[in-house]
Parts: sequence; C-alpha cells; structure tokens
Amino acid sequence: MLTYIIRRLLVLIPVLIGVTLIIFSLMHLSGDPVRLMYGPNVPKEKIEEKRIELGLDKPLYAQYGNWITQILHGDFGRSIHVQDLVSNLIGARIGATLELTLVALLFTLLFSVPIGVVSAVKPYTVFDNAGRAFAIFWVSMPYFWLGLVFMLLFGVYLHWLPISGRGGPLWSIAGLRHILLPALTLGLPPLALFMRLVRSSMLEVINEDYIRTARSKGLHEGRVIFRHGLRNALIPVVTLLGLRLPWLFGGAVITETVFAWPGMGRLLVNAVMQRDYPVVQGIVLILATLVILSNLVADLVYAYLDPRIRYD
Amino acid sequence: MLERMRSSRRVRRFTRNRLALVGLGIVWVIILTSALASVISPYDPIEHNYDEMLQPPSGRHLMGTDDLGRDILSRVLYGSRYALLIGVAVVLLELAVGASMGFIAGYFGGKVDTVIMRVVDMVLAIPTLILAIAIAGALGGGLWVMIIAIAVAGWGEFSRLVRAQVLSLKELTYVEAVRATGAGNARIIFRHILPNSMGPVLVYTTLYMPTAILWSAALSFLGLGAQPPTPEWGSIIAEGRGFISYAWWIATFPGLAIMLTTFGFNCVGDGLRDALDPRFSRNV
Repeated sequence: MLTYIIRRLLVLIPVLIGVTLIIFSLMHLSGDPVRLMYGPNVPKEKIEEKRIELGLDKPLYAQYGNWITQILHGDFGRSIHVQDLVSNLIGARIGATLELTLVALLFTLLFSVPIGVVSAVKPYTVFDNAGRAFAIFWVSMPYFWLGLVFMLLFGVYLHWLPISGRGGPLWSIAGLRHILLPALTLGLPPLALFMRLVRSSMLEVINEDYIRTARSKGLHEGRVIFRHGLRNALIPVVTLLGLRLPWLFGGAVITETVFAWPGMGRLLVNAVMQRDYPVVQGIVLILATLVILSNLVADLVYAYLDPRIRYD
Repeated sequence: MLERMRSSRRVRRFTRNRLALVGLGIVWVIILTSALASVISPYDPIEHNYDEMLQPPSGRHLMGTDDLGRDILSRVLYGSRYALLIGVAVVLLELAVGASMGFIAGYFGGKVDTVIMRVVDMVLAIPTLILAIAIAGALGGGLWVMIIAIAVAGWGEFSRLVRAQVLSLKELTYVEAVRATGAGNARIIFRHILPNSMGPVLVYTTLYMPTAILWSAALSFLGLGAQPPTPEWGSIIAEGRGFISYAWWIATFPGLAIMLTTFGFNCVGDGLRDALDPRFSRNV
C-alpha cells in the first residue's frame, strides 16, 4: 500500500507542473499582461515601469521560473487592486469555501445513498421511475438560477432563511441558517447524479453470486443489502466522488457569487472582473491542487474498499 | 440484414422510453422556436419601451417586462437561438479537438498516447467551469470568447471517452482480421473504427450539449459571456437578479427555459444510451 501511495504521488508531479504551465499562460493569453491588468488608458512610461517591476521584460521561461520559485516559497504575489498579499486574501476565504462544499457534499451523500438503495431494491416501481425523472430534472438545473429561486422563495416571500453572507461558525444557529440555502443549491444537482449511480451499482451487485450465497445462508435481508451489497456498491461511488469534485468547486464559484458567500469563488469572480491576475492564478492553482489531492484520496479509499485492487 | 434488424430494435427501444420521447418533443419545440423566433415573438426583444417598464405577467406580456420595458417572452424566445448556437458550437469544437486527440492517442498508442493523456490529465485537474471563467476573463468576454473558453476548458473528457472506445475496438478480432487482409491505417480507421465508435460518442455528445448550455448560461450570468442587450438566457437572469425581490418574473422565466432545454437534451441522451447499449437499460 505504501509503495502504491508513493507511486501515485510521483505521478502527480508532472500533472502539477502542467497545471502551473496552463495557469501561467492564462496571464499571457491576451498578449500583454500589463495592459490586461491596467487597461488601455495608462500612459506608456507607467506601463513600461510596471513591466520591469513585475519582471515581465524578461524572457517567458525566466518569468515562469521566477513565478514557480516564488510559489514554492509560499509567495503567490500581490493583488493589484487590493493592497494585500494573494496568500492572505485566499487564506481568509478558503475556510468558507471548504465549509460550503463539505456541507453540500454531506447533504448529497446523506440523501443519495438511501434513495439509491431503495430504487435498486425495488427496481422499475413507481418510486424508481419517479427517481429517474427526478434525477434528470435536477441534473438539468442551472445552479445560479436555483439559488435565486431559493432566495426568492425562502428569503423574500417566506422570510424563513437569510439570503446572503455567512452568519458565523457552522455550529452556531446563525451559521447553520446561513449555510442552508447555499449548501442546498450546491448539493441538490449532484444528489441526483449520485442517487442514480448508487442505484445502478447496487443493482449490479445484487445480482452477484456472493449476494445469493449470503441470502441462502439465511441472513436477514437488511443485513444482505447493507453489509454485503452496499459496501461493494459504494466503490464506484467513491470514484465518481473524486471525479465530480471539480464540478462541485465550479458550482461553488457560482453559488458563492449568488449568495454573497465570502469564499474563494466570489473572490475569483471579482478578481476576474477586475483583471487582478495574480489573485486569479493563485485561486486556480489552489483549487487545482485541491482537486488533484482529492482524486488521490478517492483512489486510496478505492484501493482500501476493494482489496482486489492493490496495485502493485 | 442483421444490421438493419439491430437498428430497428434500437429505434423501438428508444421509442418505448416515454421520458426519451418527452425529451425529443422538447428538443423539437426548442429547435422550432429558435427557427421561428422572429415570427412568433410578440415584440422586439431589444427595443426599449419606457411606457411598459417592469410590468408583471399579464395578457399583454405573458412573462412580464423588464426594467427597460422589453417583453420577457420575446427575449426568452429569441434566447433559444443563442442556447442552441452555443451548445452546438461548443460540442463541435470539442469534438474536433477532443475526439481527434483521443482518437490519435487510442489508435497509435505508445508515447503519443502517454503525452496526450498526460495533457488531458492536466486540463482535467483544473475544474472546467473555473478554467473557462479564467480564460473568458483573460480574453475579455463576449459570446464567441465564451464558446471558445468552454471548449478549451472542456475537451479533456471527450478525449478520454473516445480513447477508451478506440482502445476496446482496436483489440477486437474483426479489426485484426481486416488488418491481416492488408488494409492500411486509413481504411481501418474510416471504415471500421470510426463508424463503430459513433454510438457512445453520440450519447456523450447529447449529454454534453446541456452541460455546455448550463456552463455558458453561468458564464453569461457572471458577465463573461453574451453581453447586453443580447437576449441570452443567462444574461437576462443576471439583469433580473437586481429586481428579484419585486420583479420575480425577469429572472424566473429564462431560468425555466434553460431548465426545459437541458432537461430535453438530457432525456434524449439518457434514452439514446439505453437504446444503444442494452447493458445500460437494465442497470441505469
């Protein structure tokens, strides 16, 4: 297992280097990064001055080298619009983003697994067919619009829940009330997807020989389903979880913008709007790293759940 | 003969799926709407009318009007054109880049495969929507910039799918047999592998259309896509967002339109998947 982990970590290095190359080139996409950041109305001398200050007069490979060296030292540069370090800006918001995505994910799993199991145990019933239509319905839902509808319904008309900001720590009442709508917005569309996956993978498992064996031993049906079936059915779910995390982060950007949730996503959108490229690069890099790490964790959990896969 | 029997069985399997037929109906209506938008729209989608600002839905304006007095129904009807244009353009671009990359990787294998798939890994490590936002922002936004940004950010999954498909076909005995008869690469690719990998690619394309439409709407909502006064659904919602507490109709109806469109395509894609791959119809 340890060699497997080390090997997986080594494979990550080229991927990470590639990701930094993509992120680095983002800034040069439009041609002139200084013009991109400061707009067309700044005098020429000022632009030249900035170019030298930012090291943009050097050849590209030297710029990339500098940038990478800085990042390896934990220095993401300075924001152009706010007089602060990018690392400070991100550090102040990463907690809020992780909190939102984790609560949404928890919500997704808490509901998708039981509903998926019931659909699989009773396939082709009304419950199952409704589940199918329901799943496609939610997958078709635009996040940002769902958020607005929730705001309208539960905030503006019913006055049940606050519609913007973060109320406080998660364990406080205000914190819970504030996170409910954004987490629902972010968690409902993937819920449908996971529910269908749990169902199909459960259906496959139920037809396996060892389930028949477990039944013929006279085990209680609940025990067969949950101990023997579900454990094995969850393996593909774990993989999908790893694969779908990028979508969750993408959705978080939109959800945070709609609900004014003070996370990295909202910071990213504002930075893109203000062309504050050091901030954009920093956030994209952090998110990509999170995705890569979570894929790794998904892989390891996968290897743990299924003893047949001990890649050696 | 066998081929024809098989395809008619597929058609039957598709038409027996009620949800897929509903989806097909919806897609058909959306296509008709976009073709006839200028005929069926009761008002001009862009012209301001200050006498009728922020009217709630009524007989005159079925979906109400916005802050500039524009008829929401007309804007939503015209919006279908942009949704279809964006969906088709993104999918075609991704097919052109992603599918061909995946094809080359899968068919030729070896070092080519390794290099291409590593690049795909890198692109997929960055959340597609976030990469698209960053690219669109760097290029300054706009309808076509957004289309290109989404395509550049999202071709990776196409590559993986096509590669897997080609890999499994390449090993089949009949391809071996064709090769043994002395057929060259081009013949094997165009006569045998391409036609046989179309099924899953078609399914994925149909399921990807709605995703592309959702992403583009999100980008437009953020102000990085179609610019006002373009009647694109995402940007209409962005315009209506500020009025949400007293003019709910501006943001609500275009959102319903997006949902209906993506729902239609998803149902068709789901049905196609069942029809083309009987293994799935039992399981999914």
